[in-house]
Order: sequence, then C-alpha cells, then structure tokens
Amino acid sequence: MRCTSEIDVRDVDESCINIDPIQVGGRLTADAMKAVIAYGDGYSVCDHCRKPFRLDFIQKPPIQQFHKELAAFVNMDEARVVPGARRGFQAVAGTYVQKGDPVLITALSHYTEVLAVENNGGIIREIPADDGKTITTDSAAETIETVSREFCRPPVLLFLDHFDYQYGNEHDVRGIIRVARQHDIPVVYNGAYTVGIMEVDGKGLGADFVVGSGHKSMAAPAPSGMLAATTERAAEVFRTTEARTDLTGRTFGIKEVEMMGCTLMGVTLVGMMASFPHVRERVKHWDEHLSRGRKVVESLERIVGTRIQSEMPRNHTLTRVDTIQSFDKVANTHKKKGFFFSSELKARGIAGIIPGATKVWKFNTYGLSAAQSDYLAETFLGIAEKYGLDIQ
Amino acid sequence: MSKRAVDTVFEALFTLTDIRMMLRDTAPQHRLDDDEKEAAEAMLRSLEGNIRTLRKELIG
Repeated sequence: MRCTSEIDVRDVDESCINIDPIQVGGRLTADAMKAVIAYGDGYSVCDHCRKPFRLDFIQKPPIQQFHKELAAFVNMDEARVVPGARRGFQAVAGTYVQKGDPVLITALSHYTEVLAVENNGGIIREIPADDGKTITTDSAAETIETVSREFCRPPVLLFLDHFDYQYGNEHDVRGIIRVARQHDIPVVYNGAYTVGIMEVDGKGLGADFVVGSGHKSMAAPAPSGMLAATTERAAEVFRTTEARTDLTGRTFGIKEVEMMGCTLMGVTLVGMMASFPHVRERVKHWDEHLSRGRKVVESLERIVGTRIQSEMPRNHTLTRVDTIQSFDKVANTHKKKGFFFSSELKARGIAGIIPGATKVWKFNTYGLSAAQSDYLAETFLGIAEKYGLDIQ
Repeated sequence: MSKRAVDTVFEALFTLTDIRMMLRDTAPQHRLDDDEKEAAEAMLRSLEGNIRTLRKELIG
C-alpha cells in the first residue's frame, strides 16, 4: 500500500503493537488525526490572524486560549508552543548562556541540551549518575560546588531531565532544584518523558522553565513541544524584538526573538490542540499505564538470564533490558543472528524494537490497552519458550 | 459550491479515522468484541450514507 508512487503507507500502529521507546506517547488521538486532515495545508491556522499578528494571539482556532491552558497544565505562568523540546532548550540557552559560561546537565541528559549549550559557546559540566543510574541531590550539590570553584562563579543554567531517555529512571528533580535555587541557578525541567503522560507541577517543583515534547508525550505531530516559564523568566525568554533596520527603518511589532516570531503555524499546532483535552485527562491515569508496563517487565524477568537495567520497581513505562544471557544466546546460533528476535516479534505483530538488537534494548508500553499489554507479555514468554530458554 | 458535499467528505474522512483508531486499539489481531462490532457497524452505515450523499451532490 502506498501514499504516492514513492512513499509507502505507514501502518505500523494499525498492524502491530508498537513499543518503540520514543514513539508511543506521541501517537495521535482520533481528534488530532481529524484535525490533521482538515489543517494539513501550510499556514492553515493563520486564516484569522489579526493585529498584533502573533500566533499566541489568534482566537480562531482558539490558540490564545490554548496557550493559557498549556501554562496551567504544568502549573507555570506563561507558555509558548515550540518545534520540539529541543527548541525550548535552545530558547533558554540563547537567553542565559554566553561564551565561556558553565552550564550543568546530567550524565543522562539528552543530546539536544548539549547542542543548545554548545550553540551559545557554553561550557558543559555533567552531574554524575550513581551506580543505579540515577541523579541524586547530593551528586548535584557536589557538582555545583566543584563547578563554582572551577569557574569562580556558579553555573548559569541547569538542565534537568525528570526521567531520562536511556533508562527511563526517575531523578530527584525536587531536591536538585532546591539545591540549584540556593545558588541562584535557573533550572530547565526537561519533561519530554513526563509532560503529557503524567501530571507535572512546574512551580511546585521550583522550576524556572518546563519543557515538554508534543511528538514524544503529548499525542501531537512532529516537531512540536512547549516551553513554559514563571512570570519573571517569561519576561526574559519571551522578550520581544527591539530591532529597527538601518535602511528601511522597519520594526517588527511584538515578535519574540527566541521564538523567531511565530512557531507552529499549521498542522503541528492544531494536532497538539486537538489532542490536548485527551492528554489533560490521560495524565490522571498514569498509574494504569505504569501498572501494565510493570506486568510486561515481570514477564521479561521470568526469562532466565534477562536483566532489567532500569531502576526497579519501574516508575516509567520506558525500560532498558539486558538479554545478553537469554535472547542473545539464541542469536549466537540462529541463522538470522540477532534478527531472529525482531522477526519473531514481527510475526506476532510486535514492532518498535531495533531490528537485530538482542543484547541491550529499550521498549515503552505507554498507551497499550490491558489486552495489548497482556498479549505483549505473553509474546516475550512465547518466544523464549520456543527457543528453549528457561522460564521461572 | 456544494457545502453539503464538502461537509460530507470531511464527515466520511472522520468516520474512517475512527475506524482507523479501532484498528489501532485492537492491533495486532483485530478481534472485535460485541460492543466494538456494533460501533463498527454504525460507522460503516454512516459511511454508506456519506457515499450516497456524495453521489447525489456531485453526480446527480
């Protein structure tokens, strides 16, 4: 089946249970798909853009109201939509980081935080993870002290992932933010794996900024995301242009410098908006998703030799698993090598695990129904049984 | 301009979208329970109505 002569239809989520670690929270709701159908054209949300000609002032569709609701959703004062969480990091780094400034991230931070700092000439220092691959308050406090001594001033910014992309481990954001505030370090709460799937209270945590990913966790098309800020920080990161061109004397109203004017001007925004009522509701049911994910993890643990590398018990549906002593042993003698595993999964209607991976791999069960998560758990056990692996 | 034809096209596309979501929710086996079958039946009836309307509006 093809969309065009050269583009295949993408039907992975219609045909399979998709457990791709980065895709599941971004699957569209039915309402988002319908909005995408109606608003696919380029500047589709701009039909009713009137003075002062800025995206977050448009009232039809209700984009202005959506921005207010977005800020409230994460308990912050102001919010803007951005083309992915990374553009939120970039906006904050662009505001606070100058060449040679020390900036803290963690040993498990996403690479886009690094790029945002690098782009402004900042110098990165990482807070180390402990043996359990978590970032502790003590570790953060120690790193802040060390870096402050090294640079004779505190870091200008701290990027902090609540749950990291590598292990899906939870880090002590509340404690770390408290320590950062004692040193007057602004904190960017990276909620790429939280905002849109679980409740987030930005000001309650003490964060200066909350960044969310539309396509990762808010059931929205890519690239989409949000940057929310406290009133004080909003005045800085959402500052408006003051430029006047030399020859023509042009000025540009209230366009925001870090946003590069308007951000999501069509299908990405309207998809995000259409999903939002469902997203706001689904965060209240995070425990159900977590419980289903834990059942799948339990079934994997029953396969002798399999080791869950993520923290246990699981506090997130994204999990990293080591199957070197189980499925990889099968791969060593199988004619398809590591591809036997993905082939077996595909034959059973499971997609999203990197083809060929049998050593260490990640999966995410977010959004599966009870029946689907049960089926997935049974599928892992079934494949193990077929290849003679011991099951506890 | 046939406003009715335009509206009907969107209505049909939206109903097809609901069917698409049903396929997602029941993947990979697509075994529908009684409630889901009833919902599918209603959606298919709606689509048939849309096609009749479009035929009338566009072809006469």
